[in-house]
Amino acid sequence: MPAGRPGPAAQSARRPPPLLPLLLLCVLGAPRAGSGAHTAVISPQDPTLLIGSSLQATCSVHGDPPGATAEGLYWTLNGRRLAPELSRVLNASTLALALANLNGSRQQSGDNLVCHARDGSILAGSCLYVGLPPEKPFNISCWSKNMKDLTCRWTPGAHGETFLHTNYSLKYKLRWYGQDNTCEEYHTVGPHSCHIPKDLALFTPYEIWVEATNRLGSARSDVLTLDILDVVTTDPPPDVHVSRVGGLEDQLSVRWVSPPALKDFLFQAKYQIRYRVEDSVDWKVVDDVSNQTSCRLAGLKPGTVYFVQVRCNPFGIYGSKKAGIWSEWSHPTAASTPRSERPGPGGGACEPRGGEPSSGPVRRELKQFLGWLKKHAYCSNLSFRLYDQWRAWMQKTHKTRNQHRTRGSCPRADGARREVLPDKL
Amino acid sequence: MSRREGSLEDPQADSSISPLPHLEAKIRQTHSLARLLTKYAEQLLQEYVQHQGDPFGLPGFSPPRLPVAGLSAPAPGHAGLPAPERLRLDAAALSALQPLLDVVRRHQAELNPRAPRLLRRLEDAARQARALGAAVEAVLAALGAETRGPPAEPAAAAAAAAVAAATAATDAGVFPAKVLGLRVCGLYREWVSRTEGDLGQLVPGGPA
Repeated sequence: MPAGRPGPAAQSARRPPPLLPLLLLCVLGAPRAGSGAHTAVISPQDPTLLIGSSLQATCSVHGDPPGATAEGLYWTLNGRRLAPELSRVLNASTLALALANLNGSRQQSGDNLVCHARDGSILAGSCLYVGLPPEKPFNISCWSKNMKDLTCRWTPGAHGETFLHTNYSLKYKLRWYGQDNTCEEYHTVGPHSCHIPKDLALFTPYEIWVEATNRLGSARSDVLTLDILDVVTTDPPPDVHVSRVGGLEDQLSVRWVSPPALKDFLFQAKYQIRYRVEDSVDWKVVDDVSNQTSCRLAGLKPGTVYFVQVRCNPFGIYGSKKAGIWSEWSHPTAASTPRSERPGPGGGACEPRGGEPSSGPVRRELKQFLGWLKKHAYCSNLSFRLYDQWRAWMQKTHKTRNQHRTRGSCPRADGARREVLPDKL
Repeated sequence: MSRREGSLEDPQADSSISPLPHLEAKIRQTHSLARLLTKYAEQLLQEYVQHQGDPFGLPGFSPPRLPVAGLSAPAPGHAGLPAPERLRLDAAALSALQPLLDVVRRHQAELNPRAPRLLRRLEDAARQARALGAAVEAVLAALGAETRGPPAEPAAAAAAAAVAAATAATDAGVFPAKVLGLRVCGLYREWVSRTEGDLGQLVPGGPA
């Protein structure tokens, strides 16, 4: 049997409803004077039952003239006539019904059990509620948008299928003091979620739990304890721009702005970039973009449209040691790499702006060489930027490295300037 | 337009002031509103039966058409009445429908809490019934006919009694409450459709 305390409604017999005065609304069962019409009362009225249980019900006929008979009466359940062997005449005016091993209710408003006269007319009705008590909700997760609110989501126990309307209530309180509060804005991010919009304290833990209740009982989740500062998320970075890097066919430059709501607090923010080719569903993710607002994607395919997105993790807000929660991805921004006759490389990596080398072996060696040049030849203006410009120039003129000479300025310690040939690089 | 009670022609009117275009426009507008609400009322009824479960949606389902306190279906002789009398009955019925639709909505909020569209339609229907009733009364006033409704206090008392009766029905059991809701939604459709027909006969160029 499922967990949960048994509720008060799990009983199979109830008092029959009172008769209504003739001047008030006429519901099923009020006789029309002199018409010869019969009415009836079903007992129990609107019972609540566990799945698999049994039901004993009666339909008692009243009528004018007296002597209304139970002969010819029959039952339907949700519009389907029930087999005669399930019924028996108890006395002249009462037809009984026995149902066993009940299935869960077909609709939340209750299964319609109806008592009919011989001619098919409806004499009375009762709604059955057959289901299960709720199981313990679990897997509560919460996040705060810019430290201003708190949204929580949970998973209902037993995958939510109780066949009865089950009410979920998110409760919260400050751990060390204060009263229980109840969340009021439900279904904000799915059917099992709630949003607390304001009046939340920082630097002090909250206790949060979910209570599930239906006609058959209730259940309570485990308590989640958290500090708002440890579950902060923020908006996606705005103003994401993707552009070409000169004529470089395998690179795109990505720039963005810190999310404005937390821009004064994002000292340790982390960013992630993901990109994909236009007609692909596979994203490549660049992870190591910490606390910068620009990046260069390298190793891309020439002449290809790429979609790029960025997201932010406000790690370390007010000294929080927890990991933080990633924002949503920014809206996709598209750009295309320049076309080239030569096939481009297929890999991808992110090069931060300023010409810091990536992990490729050629560029590592180049970095070492440039470092040596700066040290020994006083070439302070040599940089990856100059190297990239040379590559772009090479591609533009379609000449090999061994056929071209370029001018660079690399003064020696004695002040003399010396022409630098690219093939010596 | 023929000379009959409720005709738009007023031989006493000052020829320099012509209220007819304004009245015609008002009638057309109200007729258009009634036509739109007839469609919505049909949708409401379909949505309602879906959420009550079978046999409510089955063809041939016919619970007893018992009267609702303070409101009955249009009488068979309604179409033969003079136009102002028909419109008065339309307005009175629409006014009586609003609190009854509210009761049905409150009960459905307990029975079908995860049916937001049904609940919204019921809420809209209550407002629309009131709006159409007020519009019909405005047409009656423009026609120069008395609305001849009951004084405000007895009308409010009648509405409260109807609500109390409907609430008592819901207390009598879920199935009777479902049947009540079906009856109220059906009456709403009947009266909105009746109002559309009655106004259609007043629209210039419409059927006599």
